[in-house]
This record gives sequence, structure tokens and C-alpha cells, in this order.
Amino acid sequence: MSAPETDERAGADSARPVARSGNSFVGDVWVNFKRWNLKAVRNPFVLVVSLVQPIIFLVLFTEVFGNVAGGAVNQGLPGVSYETYLVPAIAIQVALAAAITSGVGLVNDIENGMFEKVLVTPMNRTAVFVGKTAAEVFRIAVQIAIILGLGVLLGAEIVTGIVGVVGIVAVGILFSLWFVALSNALAIITRDQESTIIGANLLQFPLLFLSSAFLPLAALPGWVQTFARFNPVTYGVDAARSLIIDQDVMTVLDVSWFGGTLDGVVPGVAVLVALDLVLGGIAVYLLSRASSSDVK
Amino acid sequence: MSPPGSADTAGSSEDDGVSEAETAAAGGSATAIAVDGLELVYSDGTAAVRGIEMGVPEGEFFGFLGPNGAGKTTTIKVFATLLSPTSGAVRVNGFDVRSAPREIRKSIGYMAQETSIDPELTAEENIRFACEAHGVPREERSERVTELLDLVDLADVAGKRAEEFSGGMKKRLDAATALVHRPPLVFLDEPTTGLDPKARNRLWDYFRRINDLGTTIFLTTQYLEEADQLCDRLAVILDGEIVAEGSPAELKREVGGEVLEVEVEGGSGARQRAATIAREFDAFADASVTETDEGISVTAEAARQHGTDLLVTLRDADLTVTGFNIRAPTLDDVFLAITGDELDTDEMEAGR
Repeated sequence: MSAPETDERAGADSARPVARSGNSFVGDVWVNFKRWNLKAVRNPFVLVVSLVQPIIFLVLFTEVFGNVAGGAVNQGLPGVSYETYLVPAIAIQVALAAAITSGVGLVNDIENGMFEKVLVTPMNRTAVFVGKTAAEVFRIAVQIAIILGLGVLLGAEIVTGIVGVVGIVAVGILFSLWFVALSNALAIITRDQESTIIGANLLQFPLLFLSSAFLPLAALPGWVQTFARFNPVTYGVDAARSLIIDQDVMTVLDVSWFGGTLDGVVPGVAVLVALDLVLGGIAVYLLSRASSSDVK
Repeated sequence: MSPPGSADTAGSSEDDGVSEAETAAAGGSATAIAVDGLELVYSDGTAAVRGIEMGVPEGEFFGFLGPNGAGKTTTIKVFATLLSPTSGAVRVNGFDVRSAPREIRKSIGYMAQETSIDPELTAEENIRFACEAHGVPREERSERVTELLDLVDLADVAGKRAEEFSGGMKKRLDAATALVHRPPLVFLDEPTTGLDPKARNRLWDYFRRINDLGTTIFLTTQYLEEADQLCDRLAVILDGEIVAEGSPAELKREVGGEVLEVEVEGGSGARQRAATIAREFDAFADASVTETDEGISVTAEAARQHGTDLLVTLRDADLTVTGFNIRAPTLDDVFLAITGDELDTDEMEAGR
């Protein structure tokens, strides 16, 4: 630290009023939470787009494939309709689609100068990103709730009731976080809106189809089953699906520590939490590097 | 000489909470910006700033003048804690940029070169967010928002989204958001680049008003005219080094007055004769005369008063004047006078 006290007057004159600052960590989180929610409401296009595609999937898949796929589902899970089977997968799809917008928001902030502007404020930088992510998670929770409501209207049965709904929303949020982190990492690396959207979207369909989302793994080719074993979507969908039908339907991890539904939920949640921590760590590293004042 | 509660003890973490008492102790200083041997080298090896020494007293309207790529933005980013200096000491409002960046952020306003506003929010919401981000007390926010909307003449469109605004309106909104916490020191990085003259004049008025209220302003610009209009004192930066410092009048004196350009018919022989006449012209005792492609260029204090006399003299010597122009010195002329070199803009663009 080489900061020679060359300025003799430093500290000599304390008469000037000091700028008062009311910043606190929680306050800074709240300020950013509000801003990003306001932006989401202002830009209903983003809200609608990340909902429309999953809704189209929900309606088309149940109507078009319902009869055929229903048979495959019934072989493994007697008495479960395809609507009920599909709704948890669509909930995860919503989480995936909505999480992409997190990185897009960051790129927009970098492009329109707000990112740098925020860096010059005395706000705590961790709080800035916590607030932004909290707003996105909040939006994802609302969107998953909408999908669950729509699913019930289409004939899905949530046998676990309100507890199940809360549980599925929670699984959806845990699932979304690793993709939120990934889209932010893409945003910082590419610093380009189109690249971020394309990069994240390219991943979306392979991840969804090469998993247990739309059909039981047993009905899929061997290589798909192998891929699905390493696919986070499988863990999210199986955990959410276990919650909606109150049975252990985890297909890729065989655990029998708890007996019943929790055997399907806990392993999935554990995998997602681990994934969140790893990708979250990478995103935090990239974010702090992007916002540091070190010369690049 | 060690100030009480020196910012250096606060540690290097940006999130360190420094108590109000420490803030008060370290924050009082009559020098808004004190720079000692500032150097900044980018990781690709580009030396953007090479050893700057300068001081800006409180309340001054200070101009930082230089062409594209001279190092203006890099310097201002160091002052605003966006870039850490490679070497040298920089104190802003009495705080060290390396050890107390958060204290500096509390006490400065910063307007980036690119307009930085949230296009999806309204003018009012943009200012309100800035209030919240800078920790303006809740009970003062509404009043501050109204006051600033008035100051920048956006009260009529307070509820409109910023994306619908013209370039000048956006700039004014951006300026307002930099002032929400009544910072004693404001950085303006080329605030009028790309604005039409009307919008520019309006912005100048706001800056003068803010400065009259006691705010220190550090402004970068490429335009000598802008610096001349606004600034008490200037530093000229070229290639990362300060090449001249002084009041606008002093700098213009270095140029040696105004510039009279005369176009003469008849090739180089005629141009040489015209140049000789101009050099011997009594009214332009201190003139510097150069031959140009079309004629001659005369720089003299009295160029405006006695320019027509020279034209008459040229006509009497049977030279045909096809055009003439008297203009104030530009940044180019200042650089020409200071460095003896024409400004090579292309070379400048390559640097940062």
C-alpha cells in the first residue's frame, strides 16, 4: 500500500458536511429487488415469452401425445394421467426458460451503462446481485404457480395439495438457480445479448428432451438414458414429479433412506443444491471479476 | 501528517463499513482531487496514463482537455474508483482510491461518457432508484426527485419511459441521477459529445448552476470551446501525459490569438508573396504565418480587428483573395502551439 500522505490539509478541515449515506445490506438488496421487479412488469414481453412456450408444450403434448404417451406412463405408474405426469416437467421448463432472462438482464445493464453506474454507487455489490437474483427467483415462483394452476385446469392432479405445490415451486427455484448462474456467466463472457440468448436457448431443448421430462426413461433409447443420468433436468423433474403424485419416481438414483416420496425428492434436491453451489460459485467469481476495479 | 482515522486503516475490502465518525475525520479536505504520479497500464501493455500530477481545489470547475484516446476517460475512471491505478497516489475528497473506494463513492457523482440510464424506467423512477442507491434518506427522496426533475427540465415528462427520450433529454436525466446525493464533487466524462448546440447549451447552464451552488466539477472534453465556456482551469492531456495547464485564457494566449485563413489565387509563388506581406504587416507584430494548400494562415492577437486591413494590403499587391475566414483557436491550434505538431487523430484513436 503506497499512499503517501502528501496532502497536508487532509484531515485538517472537517467542517464540510459529510455526505450522509443510508445504505445497509438489506436496504441495498431491497432497492435492487424493486428495480428488477419493476423492469419485469414494464417489459411484459419477457414475462409472457418465458411462459408461452411452456404453456404451448403443456397443451400440445397433452393433446397430441396424451393418448400414446399416457400408455407408456401407465405401464410404470398405473392410474397416473399424462397431464399429471407432464405438469412437473413443464414447471421445470418454465424455470429453465425464465432463468435465461437473468443473464439477458445483466447484458442489458452492461450495454446501457447501468452496470457501471451501479458500481459507482456506495451500494454493497453482493447485495446488488442478491437483489437482482431474488427478483428473478420471485418471478420464477409466480410463473411455476401459474403453470401448476393451468395444469390442474387441464386435468392434472396434485394429490399432495398445497404442500405439494409449495414443494414443487421450491424444487423449481432450486433447479432455476444453476441456470441463472450459467446465463449470468454466459452474459459476462459474451457481453452480448444475442449470444447469451442463443447460448442459453441452445441448451434448453436437448436438456429437456434428453431427460425424464416427457416420457419415462424406460421408454427411451439407451444413450438417452445414459445422458439423462447426468442431466440436471432429470433430477429436477423426478423430484417435482415425486411431489405431485406422492410416490418415489426418482429414476436415476436409487435411495431408500426415508421410505416413500422423500426417497424421490431428497436425492434430486441434493444434486440440484450441489450444482447450484458449483455454478453459483463460478458466476460469483466472474461477477466479482467483472465489477472489480483491477485493470483489465 | 497522518490524518486521524486515516482511510488506510479501513482495509482494502470494498464492503468494509467505515463508521460515520471516521468518515467525518477523513473526509474534510480543501483539495477535492490530489494526484501524485498516477500511472495506469492496461493488461495488454497499453500505458493509458503516464505519470500525472495534479490537484483540483474544492469549488473549482476544472476541465480535462484532450483528443480521443489521450487518457481522459481512463483518468476519470480512476478518480471514480472504477479502475485501480497501476502506481501513484490518488486522493478524492480526502480518501485514498485504493483503500477507501466506498467512501469516495458516497461523496462523488459520476456521469459516464455513454449515457447511462435504465430505458425501461421512467425519468422519475430513474432518479428515485439513484436516490435509493446513494442512500438518500427516505423522507428526503420525493423532494429531491422533484427538485432534480425541475433542474434538468424533465418535470413534464417525469412519468414517461426514458427510452422515448431524445439524446439531449437522456443526457439531462443521466446528469440528474449523478446529483441525487448532492455530492460535493461531480465527474462529467464528455457530457456533451453528440448533442446538438441547443441541447449542449442547456446542459452547460445546468453545470454552471451546480458549480455556482458550490459543487466541484471535473469535466473532460474534446472541445476547447466547451472548456473555455465552463472551466476556471484546464489541464491538457496528450498521450497519457499532461502537456499544459492553466486558465482557458492562458492556454489561448499560448496559441497567440485568433486565426485568419486567407485563400489566394495563383499557385505557390502568390502564396509566398502573401506570406511575406503578412509577416511584414505592422498590425500583426506577433503573428505566426504559415502557408497552406490554398493560401496562408495567420495567427495573431489582432487577427479579428485588422484582418480586413491585411486583405486590402494583399489586393493592393495585386493578389487575388478568393476566400477568407477568421476563427477562434481550436483544440488543434492549442496542440499545434504546445507540441509544435499537428494532432494526429488516427493515431490517437488507436490508443485508449
